[in-house]
Amino acid sequence: MIKIITGSSVPVGATVALVSLCNHLNARRHECRLFGPDHWHLDKCKSGGLADFRPEKGDVVLVHDIGLHSVSDLSDLKATIKERQGSRWRQILRKTVCGCFGSAKKPDDFQLVLTCQGDGRSSAQQSNISLFHKIHCLGHTQQISRKATLPVFVCPNLVDDLKPSESKPAKVAGVVGTIRRENRLELSIRRAFEEGMETVILYGYLADPIYYYNDIRPLAEQYPGKVKFAGFVDDKQKLYDSVSDVYCSAIKPWSTVKLESKLTHTHFHGPDSPQEEPMTNDRILAVWINALGLQQKKDAAALP
Amino acid sequence: MKSFEGDFYKLAGLLKKREPFAFNRFSDGELCILRNREIIVDAQQVKWGEKATKGLYKEEDFKRFDPKEHSFHRDRLVDAFKFRAKNYFKGLSCRCCVGEEDFRWQLEFHGEDDGNLTWANLLVNGNYPQFIREMYPLFNGYKTVVVCNDKASLSMFPFVIKDFRVGYNAMVNDYGLIERMRQWIVENNIEGHLFLFSASSFSKLAIHQLYEHCGNNTYIDIGTTLNPFMNMRLDRGYLKSFWLGAKNADINKICIW
Repeated sequence: MIKIITGSSVPVGATVALVSLCNHLNARRHECRLFGPDHWHLDKCKSGGLADFRPEKGDVVLVHDIGLHSVSDLSDLKATIKERQGSRWRQILRKTVCGCFGSAKKPDDFQLVLTCQGDGRSSAQQSNISLFHKIHCLGHTQQISRKATLPVFVCPNLVDDLKPSESKPAKVAGVVGTIRRENRLELSIRRAFEEGMETVILYGYLADPIYYYNDIRPLAEQYPGKVKFAGFVDDKQKLYDSVSDVYCSAIKPWSTVKLESKLTHTHFHGPDSPQEEPMTNDRILAVWINALGLQQKKDAAALP
Repeated sequence: MKSFEGDFYKLAGLLKKREPFAFNRFSDGELCILRNREIIVDAQQVKWGEKATKGLYKEEDFKRFDPKEHSFHRDRLVDAFKFRAKNYFKGLSCRCCVGEEDFRWQLEFHGEDDGNLTWANLLVNGNYPQFIREMYPLFNGYKTVVVCNDKASLSMFPFVIKDFRVGYNAMVNDYGLIERMRQWIVENNIEGHLFLFSASSFSKLAIHQLYEHCGNNTYIDIGTTLNPFMNMRLDRGYLKSFWLGAKNADINKICIW
């Protein structure tokens, strides 16, 4: 079985991507389950809480955003994540001690694969890379540890099967992305109004309410009645159907928003970033299946 | 065994499934009225029964309950408290917030728990982050009606199709609005809509009477939870903690039964 474990399963880009991967693999009859600490993922795919996770012989364990220093960390993932969330000095000490005395031996019974979502740096820095058999990167530009001499395979995240919107409102901008400072949503909102948008709707998980209150709310007062907050919405088709334009300010070559905007005929306004050639979902899944050593299954039913 | 987090996700699950329900909250103010104790909240004083302190609240929170003068409205609150129906959930003040004596009194006054009793604080304290991050976005899937103070702004909500406004001491002064809302629902064949109430004790009477007569909609007493989006004050500890980063234990508090 393929078991995906993640240190956070709230609805941000990485979780959405892992849910999609899980569903596509299951649809192709590769049994897959996603384990995370939060609730959001539980009704989105075959899933479980972290306490339900047990690595078993023959499994492929795909790791995201969990600082693993030895294989034994997998035996109690809640404790491992709690430890990671502790003080920075404790983490450094633990990493150093594990580096000197801990076993960095790869597991024999199952395959351990690190997936680097986002810019990849945090995933690679948090863990002892030598524990893993392989590393997955979203693109060739992604930065991972220079010490990594492991096999790396590259493919972007899967993209939802979106259709061109049948009808679109005029001059309604969607600012799409997790609500946190590094996504610079305030710039997107300003730019949307400067370019003539009449309404801006914020679509994204509220990761940083203090940033929202201090930086976004004043813009709602500056443009009274024109800024709306939707939060994270599961249904991407409805999201794109509700806006004419999408604005992004952070440079994120791995983001699927630009591609989704194209599929739905939504005008995309964002920074130019080195986009790699898009891959079809079939090609992306072929990369996964090959990298994880799975057999291609010809009669996969109900493909998403 | 009731669980503070589990009950929250039970309501969130009903919203996701679009199964109509009502969540009515009976907090410390309603407890005071149910116990037939005088309430005065104005600029000068806050008087709850025998206890009186200096006035801390702002105009939108002002209220007055006189047991003799307002017995009709108290009786309607008792009706709302004792009403039983499928998916009519009643949030009670918990022992960790109002103390053992008041908690016990509520349970005895209510009678047997039919499984629909839960916490008045279900959407706040330790559940507030999940409310904002996980339940609020579900409102986008509904045609939503908001009942709130006439000073509140609703322009941040992309999902609102209609609003009804209340003013000072709404439970008494705006009681007639319940019938007008009921007529609006019937005349316009309103079904599958979501009604959000942020109207103090008025909410309790309205949610009961509207759910009893028009049970194909969902009615939620959201209290002060959406104040940051409504241009209203952040004067509750859990709001200051979540939105301003102020140190306050409420945001981590898991209420007990």
